[in-house]
Amino acid sequence: MTASLSGATAVAGVGYRQYRRGTAPAPERGVLVRAIVDACEDAGFDPADVDGFVSYGDDKNEPVRLAPDLGTKDLAWSGMVWGGGGGGIAGAFGLAAAAIVTGQATAVVVFRALVEGNSGRLSAAVMAHHLNDHMAGVGMVAPAQVCAMRAQRLFDHHGVPRSVCEDLVRASYHHGARNPEAVAYGRELDLSDFRTARWIAEPFRLFDCSRENDGAGALLLVSAERARDLRKPPVSLLGVAQGAEKGWGDLLENDDIDLYPTAGFRPIARRLWAQTGLTPADIDVVQLYENFSAQGVASLIDHGFCTYESVAEVVRFENLIAPSGKLPINTSGGNFAHGFVHGIGLAVEAVRCLRGESANPVPGAKTCLLAGGPGAPTVSSAVFGAA
Amino acid sequence: MPAPVTGQLGAEGRYWDALAEGRLELPRCAGCGRWHWPAVWRCGDCGSWEHGWTATRLAGSVFSWTRTWHRFGGAEGFETPFVTVLVTLADAPVRLLGVVEGDDTALRIGATVLGRVGRTPFGEAAIPAIRWSLAA
Repeated sequence: MTASLSGATAVAGVGYRQYRRGTAPAPERGVLVRAIVDACEDAGFDPADVDGFVSYGDDKNEPVRLAPDLGTKDLAWSGMVWGGGGGGIAGAFGLAAAAIVTGQATAVVVFRALVEGNSGRLSAAVMAHHLNDHMAGVGMVAPAQVCAMRAQRLFDHHGVPRSVCEDLVRASYHHGARNPEAVAYGRELDLSDFRTARWIAEPFRLFDCSRENDGAGALLLVSAERARDLRKPPVSLLGVAQGAEKGWGDLLENDDIDLYPTAGFRPIARRLWAQTGLTPADIDVVQLYENFSAQGVASLIDHGFCTYESVAEVVRFENLIAPSGKLPINTSGGNFAHGFVHGIGLAVEAVRCLRGESANPVPGAKTCLLAGGPGAPTVSSAVFGAA
Repeated sequence: MPAPVTGQLGAEGRYWDALAEGRLELPRCAGCGRWHWPAVWRCGDCGSWEHGWTATRLAGSVFSWTRTWHRFGGAEGFETPFVTVLVTLADAPVRLLGVVEGDDTALRIGATVLGRVGRTPFGEAAIPAIRWSLAA
Protein backbone atom coordinates (compact mmCIF):
# COMPACT_ATOMS: atom_id res chain seq x y z
CA MET A 1 0.00 0.00 0.00
CA THR A 2 1.22 3.49 -0.84
CA ALA A 3 0.66 6.18 1.76
CA SER A 4 -0.74 9.35 0.20
CA LEU A 5 0.51 12.76 1.24
CA SER A 6 -2.45 14.53 -0.29
CA GLY A 7 -4.43 16.30 2.38
CA ALA A 8 -2.85 14.22 5.17
CA THR A 9 -1.04 17.19 6.72
CA ALA A 10 -1.80 20.87 7.16
CA VAL A 11 -0.06 24.09 8.06
CA ALA A 12 -1.40 25.17 11.44
CA GLY A 13 0.68 28.26 12.09
CA VAL A 14 3.00 30.72 10.39
CA GLY A 15 5.57 33.21 11.66
CA TYR A 16 7.55 35.73 9.67
CA ARG A 17 9.97 38.46 10.72
CA GLN A 18 11.59 40.63 8.07
CA TYR A 19 14.10 43.46 8.35
CA ARG A 20 16.11 45.61 6.00
CA ARG A 21 19.35 43.85 5.06
CA GLY A 22 21.91 44.34 7.81
CA THR A 23 19.42 45.61 10.42
CA ALA A 24 18.08 42.49 12.20
CA PRO A 25 17.69 43.15 15.94
CA ALA A 26 19.33 39.84 16.85
CA PRO A 27 21.74 37.34 15.33
CA GLU A 28 20.29 34.75 12.96
CA ARG A 29 19.33 32.07 15.48
CA GLY A 30 17.62 34.65 17.70
CA VAL A 31 15.49 35.91 14.82
CA LEU A 32 14.67 32.32 13.84
CA VAL A 33 13.57 31.33 17.35
CA ARG A 34 11.28 34.36 17.38
CA ALA A 35 9.68 33.34 14.06
CA ILE A 36 9.18 29.73 15.22
CA VAL A 37 7.50 30.88 18.44
CA ASP A 38 5.35 33.26 16.35
CA ALA A 39 4.24 30.29 14.23
CA CYS A 40 3.40 28.26 17.33
CA GLU A 41 1.47 31.14 18.91
CA ASP A 42 -0.42 31.60 15.63
CA ALA A 43 -1.48 27.95 15.90
CA GLY A 44 -2.01 27.92 19.66
CA PHE A 45 0.67 25.23 19.98
CA ASP A 46 3.38 24.76 22.63
CA PRO A 47 6.81 25.26 20.96
CA ALA A 48 8.21 22.54 23.25
CA ASP A 49 6.02 20.01 21.44
CA VAL A 50 7.56 20.67 18.02
CA ASP A 51 9.52 17.49 17.33
CA GLY A 52 10.78 18.02 13.79
CA PHE A 53 12.52 20.69 11.70
CA VAL A 54 13.19 20.96 7.97
CA SER A 55 14.97 23.61 5.95
CA TYR A 56 16.59 24.15 2.52
CA GLY A 57 19.19 26.26 0.75
CA ASP A 58 22.14 25.46 3.03
CA ASP A 59 20.51 27.07 6.09
CA LYS A 60 23.08 27.15 8.88
CA ASN A 61 20.78 26.65 11.90
CA GLU A 62 21.04 23.03 12.97
CA PRO A 63 17.74 22.17 14.63
CA VAL A 64 19.27 20.64 17.77
CA ARG A 65 20.74 24.07 18.57
CA LEU A 66 17.24 25.56 18.65
CA ALA A 67 16.10 23.12 21.33
CA PRO A 68 17.23 25.05 24.46
CA ASP A 69 15.26 28.16 23.43
CA LEU A 70 12.18 26.26 22.33
CA GLY A 71 12.16 23.84 25.25
CA THR A 72 12.10 20.96 22.77
CA LYS A 73 11.25 17.75 24.60
CA ASP A 74 12.06 15.28 21.87
CA LEU A 75 13.78 16.05 18.56
CA ALA A 76 12.58 13.25 16.27
CA TRP A 77 13.24 14.59 12.77
CA SER A 78 15.63 17.03 11.16
CA GLY A 79 16.27 17.30 7.47
CA MET A 80 17.22 19.61 4.65
CA VAL A 81 16.56 19.62 0.93
CA TRP A 82 19.87 19.72 -0.93
CA GLY A 83 20.90 22.73 -2.98
CA GLY A 84 22.35 26.16 -2.41
CA GLY A 85 19.50 28.16 -3.92
CA GLY A 86 15.81 28.36 -3.15
CA GLY A 87 14.90 25.37 -5.30
CA GLY A 88 14.16 23.20 -2.29
CA ILE A 89 11.67 25.44 -0.50
CA ALA A 90 8.52 23.51 -1.45
CA GLY A 91 10.29 20.16 -1.19
CA ALA A 92 10.92 20.98 2.47
CA PHE A 93 7.17 20.54 3.04
CA GLY A 94 7.45 17.11 1.41
CA LEU A 95 10.14 16.06 3.90
CA ALA A 96 8.04 17.37 6.78
CA ALA A 97 4.87 15.66 5.58
CA ALA A 98 6.70 12.39 4.95
CA ALA A 99 7.84 12.39 8.56
CA ILE A 100 4.34 13.01 9.88
CA VAL A 101 2.54 10.55 7.58
CA THR A 102 4.99 7.77 8.49
CA GLY A 103 4.84 8.50 12.21
CA GLN A 104 8.45 9.59 12.52
CA ALA A 105 7.47 13.01 13.85
CA THR A 106 4.21 14.71 14.80
CA ALA A 107 4.77 18.47 14.55
CA VAL A 108 7.38 19.71 12.07
CA VAL A 109 8.51 23.28 11.52
CA VAL A 110 9.69 24.26 8.02
CA PHE A 111 11.99 27.26 8.35
CA ARG A 112 14.58 29.50 6.71
CA ALA A 113 16.59 32.22 8.41
CA LEU A 114 18.96 34.74 6.91
CA VAL A 115 20.83 37.49 8.69
CA GLU A 116 23.65 39.04 6.71
CA GLY A 117 25.87 39.62 9.74
CA ASN A 118 25.88 35.85 10.32
CA SER A 119 25.60 34.28 6.88
CA GLY A 120 26.93 37.03 4.60
CA ARG A 121 25.25 37.97 1.33
CA LEU A 122 22.87 35.27 0.13
CA SER A 123 23.91 35.67 -3.52
CA ALA A 124 27.52 35.00 -2.53
CA ALA A 125 26.53 31.95 -0.47
CA VAL A 126 24.47 30.49 -3.31
CA MET A 127 27.29 31.01 -5.77
CA ALA A 128 29.88 29.55 -3.39
CA HIS A 129 27.75 26.39 -3.47
CA HIS A 130 28.11 26.21 -7.27
CA LEU A 131 31.32 28.06 -8.10
CA ASN A 132 34.12 26.20 -9.89
CA ASP A 133 37.07 27.16 -12.07
CA HIS A 134 34.97 26.85 -15.24
CA MET A 135 32.77 29.69 -13.97
CA ALA A 136 35.40 31.76 -12.17
CA GLY A 137 37.61 31.71 -15.27
CA VAL A 138 34.94 33.44 -17.35
CA GLY A 139 33.71 35.94 -14.78
CA MET A 140 30.45 34.05 -14.09
CA VAL A 141 30.44 34.50 -10.33
CA ALA A 142 26.81 35.39 -9.51
CA PRO A 143 23.42 33.70 -9.97
CA ALA A 144 22.28 36.83 -11.87
CA GLN A 145 24.75 36.14 -14.69
CA VAL A 146 23.84 32.46 -15.07
CA CYS A 147 20.13 33.30 -15.14
CA ALA A 148 20.73 36.26 -17.48
CA MET A 149 22.34 34.02 -20.07
CA ARG A 150 19.37 31.65 -19.95
CA ALA A 151 16.96 34.58 -20.15
CA GLN A 152 18.76 35.87 -23.24
CA ARG A 153 18.01 32.61 -25.05
CA LEU A 154 14.43 32.53 -23.75
CA PHE A 155 13.87 35.94 -25.36
CA ASP A 156 16.02 35.81 -28.49
CA HIS A 157 15.69 32.18 -29.53
CA HIS A 158 12.35 31.07 -28.07
CA GLY A 159 10.57 34.34 -28.78
CA VAL A 160 9.28 35.16 -25.30
CA PRO A 161 8.62 38.93 -25.36
CA ARG A 162 10.64 40.94 -22.84
CA SER A 163 7.51 42.91 -21.92
CA VAL A 164 6.15 39.98 -19.88
CA CYS A 165 8.95 40.46 -17.36
CA GLU A 166 7.87 44.05 -16.85
CA ASP A 167 4.28 42.93 -16.24
CA LEU A 168 5.41 40.31 -13.72
CA VAL A 169 7.56 42.76 -11.76
CA ARG A 170 4.83 45.42 -11.91
CA ALA A 171 2.26 42.99 -10.48
CA SER A 172 4.58 42.16 -7.59
CA TYR A 173 5.04 45.86 -6.82
CA HIS A 174 1.30 46.48 -7.13
CA HIS A 175 0.76 43.95 -4.33
CA GLY A 176 3.80 45.01 -2.32
CA ALA A 177 2.68 48.64 -2.41
CA ARG A 178 -0.51 47.54 -0.63
CA ASN A 179 1.14 45.29 1.97
CA PRO A 180 2.26 47.09 5.15
CA GLU A 181 4.84 44.34 5.78
CA ALA A 182 6.49 44.83 2.35
CA VAL A 183 9.65 46.78 1.58
CA ALA A 184 7.77 48.38 -1.32
CA TYR A 185 4.79 49.42 0.86
CA GLY A 186 3.33 52.63 -0.54
CA ARG A 187 5.52 52.56 -3.65
CA GLU A 188 4.29 51.39 -7.05
CA LEU A 189 6.91 50.43 -9.61
CA ASP A 190 7.84 53.46 -11.69
CA LEU A 191 7.97 52.04 -15.20
CA SER A 192 10.50 54.55 -16.45
CA ASP A 193 12.74 53.62 -13.49
CA PHE A 194 12.30 49.95 -14.40
CA ARG A 195 13.20 50.55 -18.03
CA THR A 196 16.20 52.78 -17.41
CA ALA A 197 17.64 51.28 -14.23
CA ARG A 198 21.30 50.30 -14.41
CA TRP A 199 22.23 47.06 -16.11
CA ILE A 200 23.27 44.18 -13.88
CA ALA A 201 23.89 41.50 -16.50
CA GLU A 202 22.06 41.85 -19.81
CA PRO A 203 19.14 41.33 -20.27
CA PHE A 204 18.62 42.07 -16.55
CA ARG A 205 18.43 45.57 -15.12
CA LEU A 206 18.27 46.28 -11.40
CA PHE A 207 14.53 45.68 -10.91
CA ASP A 208 14.66 42.31 -12.70
CA CYS A 209 16.61 41.02 -9.69
CA SER A 210 15.25 40.06 -6.27
CA ARG A 211 16.28 41.84 -3.11
CA GLU A 212 17.89 40.41 -0.02
CA ASN A 213 16.53 40.95 3.48
CA ASP A 214 17.35 39.86 6.97
CA GLY A 215 14.70 37.77 8.65
CA ALA A 216 13.23 34.37 9.29
CA GLY A 217 10.08 32.48 8.46
CA ALA A 218 8.56 29.38 10.04
CA LEU A 219 5.53 27.22 9.24
CA LEU A 220 4.18 24.56 11.57
CA LEU A 221 2.99 21.38 9.84
CA VAL A 222 0.91 18.76 11.70
CA SER A 223 -1.51 16.02 10.72
CA ALA A 224 -4.76 17.26 9.18
CA GLU A 225 -6.63 15.74 12.10
CA ARG A 226 -4.55 17.56 14.72
CA ALA A 227 -4.73 20.83 12.77
CA ARG A 228 -8.52 20.87 13.09
CA ASP A 229 -8.22 21.29 16.87
CA LEU A 230 -5.80 24.23 16.67
CA ARG A 231 -6.53 27.95 16.68
CA LYS A 232 -6.42 28.88 12.98
CA PRO A 233 -8.18 27.35 9.95
CA PRO A 234 -5.83 24.62 8.65
CA VAL A 235 -4.25 24.93 5.22
CA SER A 236 -3.79 21.47 3.69
CA LEU A 237 -0.73 20.30 1.81
CA LEU A 238 -2.39 18.82 -1.29
CA GLY A 239 0.75 17.79 -3.13
CA VAL A 240 4.48 18.33 -3.41
CA ALA A 241 7.26 17.31 -5.78
CA GLN A 242 10.99 17.96 -5.94
CA GLY A 243 13.97 16.94 -8.04
CA ALA A 244 15.26 17.16 -11.60
CA GLU A 245 15.05 15.17 -14.83
CA LYS A 246 17.85 13.80 -16.98
CA GLY A 247 19.48 16.61 -18.90
CA TRP A 248 19.07 19.25 -16.16
CA GLY A 249 21.14 20.45 -13.25
CA ASP A 250 24.65 21.81 -12.54
CA LEU A 251 25.94 20.58 -15.92
CA LEU A 252 28.31 23.46 -16.78
CA GLU A 253 25.48 24.95 -18.86
CA ASN A 254 25.20 21.73 -20.89
CA ASP A 255 21.56 21.14 -20.01
CA ASP A 256 19.46 19.48 -22.69
CA ILE A 257 18.83 22.02 -25.46
CA ASP A 258 15.07 22.11 -24.79
CA LEU A 259 15.52 22.37 -21.02
CA TYR A 260 18.22 25.08 -20.99
CA PRO A 261 15.83 28.09 -21.13
CA THR A 262 13.34 26.54 -18.69
CA ALA A 263 13.30 26.94 -14.93
CA GLY A 264 13.65 23.17 -14.41
CA PHE A 265 10.05 22.49 -13.36
CA ARG A 266 8.78 20.31 -16.21
CA PRO A 267 9.16 17.03 -14.26
CA ILE A 268 8.00 18.66 -11.04
CA ALA A 269 4.81 19.94 -12.71
CA ARG A 270 4.13 16.55 -14.31
CA ARG A 271 4.37 14.78 -10.96
CA LEU A 272 2.53 17.49 -9.04
CA TRP A 273 -0.48 17.52 -11.36
CA ALA A 274 -0.57 13.71 -11.47
CA GLN A 275 -0.32 13.47 -7.69
CA THR A 276 -3.09 15.99 -6.96
CA GLY A 277 -5.39 15.36 -9.91
CA LEU A 278 -5.33 19.13 -10.44
CA THR A 279 -4.39 21.16 -13.52
CA PRO A 280 -3.12 24.73 -13.84
CA ALA A 281 -6.73 25.79 -14.47
CA ASP A 282 -7.62 24.62 -10.94
CA ILE A 283 -5.10 26.94 -9.27
CA ASP A 284 -6.62 30.11 -7.79
CA VAL A 285 -3.43 31.94 -6.82
CA VAL A 286 0.32 31.43 -7.27
CA GLN A 287 3.16 32.33 -4.94
CA LEU A 288 5.90 32.37 -7.53
CA TYR A 289 9.54 32.37 -6.46
CA GLU A 290 11.27 34.94 -8.67
CA ASN A 291 14.99 35.31 -8.13
CA PHE A 292 15.00 37.06 -11.51
CA SER A 293 12.09 38.19 -13.66
CA ALA A 294 12.68 35.86 -16.62
CA GLN A 295 13.04 32.81 -14.38
CA GLY A 296 9.65 33.61 -12.81
CA VAL A 297 8.13 33.70 -16.28
CA ALA A 298 9.88 30.44 -17.22
CA SER A 299 8.48 28.84 -14.07
CA LEU A 300 4.91 29.77 -15.08
CA ILE A 301 5.56 28.24 -18.52
CA ASP A 302 7.04 25.06 -17.01
CA HIS A 303 4.04 24.64 -14.72
CA GLY A 304 1.70 24.80 -17.71
CA PHE A 305 0.01 28.16 -17.16
CA CYS A 306 1.11 29.23 -20.64
CA THR A 307 3.51 28.37 -23.46
CA TYR A 308 6.27 30.24 -25.27
CA GLU A 309 3.58 31.19 -27.77
CA SER A 310 0.80 32.21 -25.35
CA VAL A 311 2.90 33.76 -22.59
CA ALA A 312 1.96 37.35 -23.45
CA GLU A 313 -1.75 36.55 -23.15
CA VAL A 314 -1.34 35.16 -19.63
CA VAL A 315 1.53 37.12 -18.08
CA ARG A 316 -0.26 40.48 -18.28
CA PHE A 317 -0.37 42.94 -15.40
CA GLU A 318 -4.18 42.98 -15.20
CA ASN A 319 -4.32 39.20 -15.20
CA LEU A 320 -1.74 38.87 -12.41
CA ILE A 321 -3.22 41.16 -9.77
CA ALA A 322 -5.71 40.43 -7.00
CA PRO A 323 -8.63 40.45 -6.74
CA SER A 324 -9.62 40.86 -10.39
CA GLY A 325 -6.95 38.91 -12.32
CA LYS A 326 -7.50 35.28 -13.29
CA LEU A 327 -4.00 34.31 -12.18
CA PRO A 328 -3.02 36.43 -9.19
CA ILE A 329 0.65 36.01 -8.36
CA ASN A 330 2.70 37.05 -5.35
CA THR A 331 -0.10 38.66 -3.38
CA SER A 332 2.33 39.89 -0.70
CA GLY A 333 4.65 41.45 -3.27
CA GLY A 334 6.85 38.38 -3.60
CA ASN A 335 10.64 38.36 -3.52
CA PHE A 336 10.76 41.56 -5.58
CA ALA A 337 8.51 43.81 -3.53
CA HIS A 338 7.58 42.10 -0.24
CA GLY A 339 11.11 41.09 0.66
CA PHE A 340 13.48 38.19 0.25
CA VAL A 341 14.41 35.82 3.05
CA HIS A 342 15.34 33.12 0.58
CA GLY A 343 11.71 32.79 -0.47
CA ILE A 344 10.20 31.63 2.83
CA GLY A 345 7.89 34.66 2.76
CA LEU A 346 6.18 33.12 -0.27
CA ALA A 347 5.28 29.99 1.69
CA VAL A 348 3.94 32.14 4.53
CA GLU A 349 1.87 34.14 2.04
CA ALA A 350 0.47 30.93 0.50
CA VAL A 351 -1.02 30.12 3.90
CA ARG A 352 -2.19 33.65 4.69
CA CYS A 353 -3.83 33.92 1.28
CA LEU A 354 -5.84 30.71 1.73
CA ARG A 355 -6.89 31.83 5.22
CA GLY A 356 -8.12 35.15 3.85
CA GLU A 357 -5.39 37.03 5.76
CA SER A 358 -3.49 38.43 2.77
CA ALA A 359 -3.06 42.18 2.37
CA ASN A 360 -4.28 41.56 -1.20
CA PRO A 361 -7.10 39.04 -0.76
CA VAL A 362 -8.12 36.64 -3.50
CA PRO A 363 -11.81 36.11 -2.71
CA GLY A 364 -12.79 32.47 -2.39
CA ALA A 365 -9.30 31.15 -3.17
CA LYS A 366 -9.19 27.39 -2.49
CA THR A 367 -5.88 26.39 -4.05
CA CYS A 368 -2.46 28.00 -4.07
CA LEU A 369 0.65 26.87 -5.94
CA LEU A 370 3.97 27.51 -4.24
CA ALA A 371 6.56 27.39 -7.03
CA GLY A 372 10.10 27.11 -5.63
CA GLY A 373 13.33 28.75 -6.70
CA PRO A 374 13.49 28.59 -10.51
CA GLY A 375 16.60 27.60 -12.40
CA ALA A 376 18.16 25.83 -9.43
CA PRO A 377 19.56 22.36 -10.12
CA THR A 378 17.08 20.83 -7.65
CA VAL A 379 13.68 22.50 -7.80
CA SER A 380 10.34 21.86 -6.12
CA SER A 381 6.72 22.98 -5.99
CA ALA A 382 3.73 22.36 -3.77
CA VAL A 383 0.00 22.92 -3.84
CA PHE A 384 -1.85 24.06 -0.72
CA GLY A 385 -5.60 23.99 -0.20
CA ALA A 386 -8.00 25.98 1.98
CA ALA A 387 -9.97 24.13 4.63
CA MET B 1 47.54 18.36 -12.16
CA PRO B 2 47.16 21.62 -10.15
CA ALA B 3 44.35 21.81 -7.58
CA PRO B 4 41.34 23.90 -8.64
CA VAL B 5 41.24 27.45 -7.30
CA THR B 6 37.50 27.24 -6.56
CA GLY B 7 35.17 24.31 -5.97
CA GLN B 8 35.96 20.65 -6.23
CA LEU B 9 37.81 18.87 -9.02
CA GLY B 10 35.59 16.39 -10.80
CA ALA B 11 36.59 13.87 -13.47
CA GLU B 12 37.91 16.63 -15.75
CA GLY B 13 41.55 16.72 -14.60
CA ARG B 14 42.93 16.11 -18.07
CA TYR B 15 40.85 18.99 -19.46
CA TRP B 16 42.75 21.39 -17.17
CA ASP B 17 46.12 19.81 -17.99
CA ALA B 18 45.49 20.28 -21.71
CA LEU B 19 44.01 23.76 -21.31
CA ALA B 20 47.05 24.87 -19.30
CA GLU B 21 49.10 23.89 -22.38
CA GLY B 22 46.80 25.85 -24.70
CA ARG B 23 44.87 22.86 -26.07
CA LEU B 24 41.28 21.65 -25.77
CA GLU B 25 40.71 17.97 -24.99
CA LEU B 26 37.30 16.54 -24.17
CA PRO B 27 36.23 13.12 -22.90
CA ARG B 28 34.32 10.58 -24.93
CA CYS B 29 33.00 7.26 -23.62
CA ALA B 30 35.08 4.32 -24.90
CA GLY B 31 32.04 2.06 -24.60
CA CYS B 32 29.30 3.91 -26.50
CA GLY B 33 31.06 6.92 -27.98
CA ARG B 34 28.97 9.47 -26.10
CA TRP B 35 30.57 12.84 -25.35
CA HIS B 36 30.26 13.68 -21.65
CA TRP B 37 30.49 17.24 -20.43
CA PRO B 38 30.80 17.78 -17.55
CA ALA B 39 33.26 14.88 -17.43
CA VAL B 40 32.16 11.72 -15.65
CA TRP B 41 33.99 8.76 -14.15
CA ARG B 42 31.32 6.33 -15.29
CA CYS B 43 29.12 6.59 -18.37
CA GLY B 44 25.56 6.75 -17.06
CA ASP B 45 24.29 5.46 -20.39
CA CYS B 46 26.37 2.32 -21.02
CA GLY B 47 28.15 1.79 -17.69
CA SER B 48 31.69 2.02 -19.08
CA TRP B 49 34.47 3.41 -16.87
CA GLU B 50 36.80 4.04 -19.84
CA HIS B 51 37.07 7.39 -21.55
CA GLY B 52 39.21 8.61 -24.40
CA TRP B 53 40.30 12.25 -24.47
CA THR B 54 39.87 13.82 -27.89
CA ALA B 55 41.69 16.90 -29.14
CA THR B 56 38.98 19.32 -30.25
CA ARG B 57 39.09 22.64 -32.12
CA LEU B 58 38.21 25.85 -30.29
CA ALA B 59 35.57 26.75 -32.85
CA GLY B 60 31.82 26.99 -32.64
CA SER B 61 28.77 29.21 -32.50
CA VAL B 62 27.14 31.35 -29.79
CA PHE B 63 24.39 29.47 -27.93
CA SER B 64 23.68 32.35 -25.56
CA TRP B 65 25.44 35.31 -23.95
CA THR B 66 25.31 37.97 -21.27
CA ARG B 67 27.07 41.30 -20.91
CA THR B 68 27.99 41.90 -17.26
CA TRP B 69 27.89 45.51 -16.03
CA HIS B 70 27.71 45.09 -12.25
CA ARG B 71 31.10 44.71 -10.59
CA PHE B 72 30.52 41.36 -8.92
CA GLY B 73 33.04 40.28 -6.31
CA GLY B 74 35.21 37.57 -7.91
CA ALA B 75 35.00 38.96 -11.46
CA GLU B 76 37.75 41.56 -10.98
CA GLY B 77 39.79 39.79 -13.69
CA PHE B 78 37.64 41.55 -16.31
CA GLU B 79 36.92 45.23 -16.87
CA THR B 80 33.16 45.87 -16.92
CA PRO B 81 31.26 45.62 -19.10
CA PHE B 82 32.42 42.27 -20.43
CA VAL B 83 30.63 39.67 -22.52
CA THR B 84 30.50 36.02 -21.52
CA VAL B 85 29.33 33.58 -24.19
CA LEU B 86 28.21 29.99 -24.09
CA VAL B 87 29.50 28.35 -27.27
CA THR B 88 28.33 25.17 -28.97
CA LEU B 89 31.48 23.55 -30.35
CA ALA B 90 31.64 22.85 -34.07
CA ASP B 91 33.20 19.39 -33.64
CA ALA B 92 31.53 18.02 -30.50
CA PRO B 93 28.05 18.23 -28.93
CA VAL B 94 29.45 20.22 -26.03
CA ARG B 95 28.98 23.82 -24.85
CA LEU B 96 31.85 25.77 -23.31
CA LEU B 97 31.87 29.18 -21.62
CA GLY B 98 34.32 31.94 -22.40
CA VAL B 99 34.77 35.69 -22.43
CA VAL B 100 34.63 37.59 -25.74
CA GLU B 101 37.72 39.54 -26.74
CA GLY B 102 37.88 42.11 -29.50
CA ASP B 103 34.99 43.65 -31.41
CA ASP B 104 31.58 42.31 -30.28
CA THR B 105 29.31 44.14 -32.73
CA ALA B 106 28.51 40.82 -34.47
CA LEU B 107 27.37 39.29 -31.15
CA ARG B 108 24.13 37.32 -31.49
CA ILE B 109 22.90 33.78 -30.90
CA GLY B 110 24.27 31.66 -33.75
CA ALA B 111 27.29 33.87 -34.45
CA THR B 112 30.47 32.01 -35.41
CA VAL B 113 33.39 32.20 -32.97
CA LEU B 114 36.99 31.06 -32.74
CA GLY B 115 38.78 30.55 -29.44
CA ARG B 116 42.15 30.61 -27.78
CA VAL B 117 43.23 29.81 -24.26
CA GLY B 118 43.98 32.75 -21.97
CA ARG B 119 44.45 33.17 -18.23
CA THR B 120 42.01 34.82 -15.85
CA PRO B 121 43.42 36.39 -12.70
CA PHE B 122 41.45 35.18 -9.70
CA GLY B 123 42.90 36.20 -6.35
CA GLU B 124 46.50 35.01 -6.39
CA ALA B 125 45.83 32.45 -9.11
CA ALA B 126 45.57 32.57 -12.92
CA ILE B 127 42.87 30.19 -14.15
CA PRO B 128 43.25 28.86 -17.73
CA ALA B 129 40.10 29.96 -19.56
CA ILE B 130 38.82 30.31 -23.10
CA ARG B 131 38.64 33.65 -24.92
CA TRP B 132 36.34 33.75 -27.92
CA SER B 133 36.53 36.08 -30.91
CA LEU B 134 33.59 36.79 -33.18
CA ALA B 135 34.22 36.12 -36.84
CA ALA B 136 34.13 39.35 -38.85
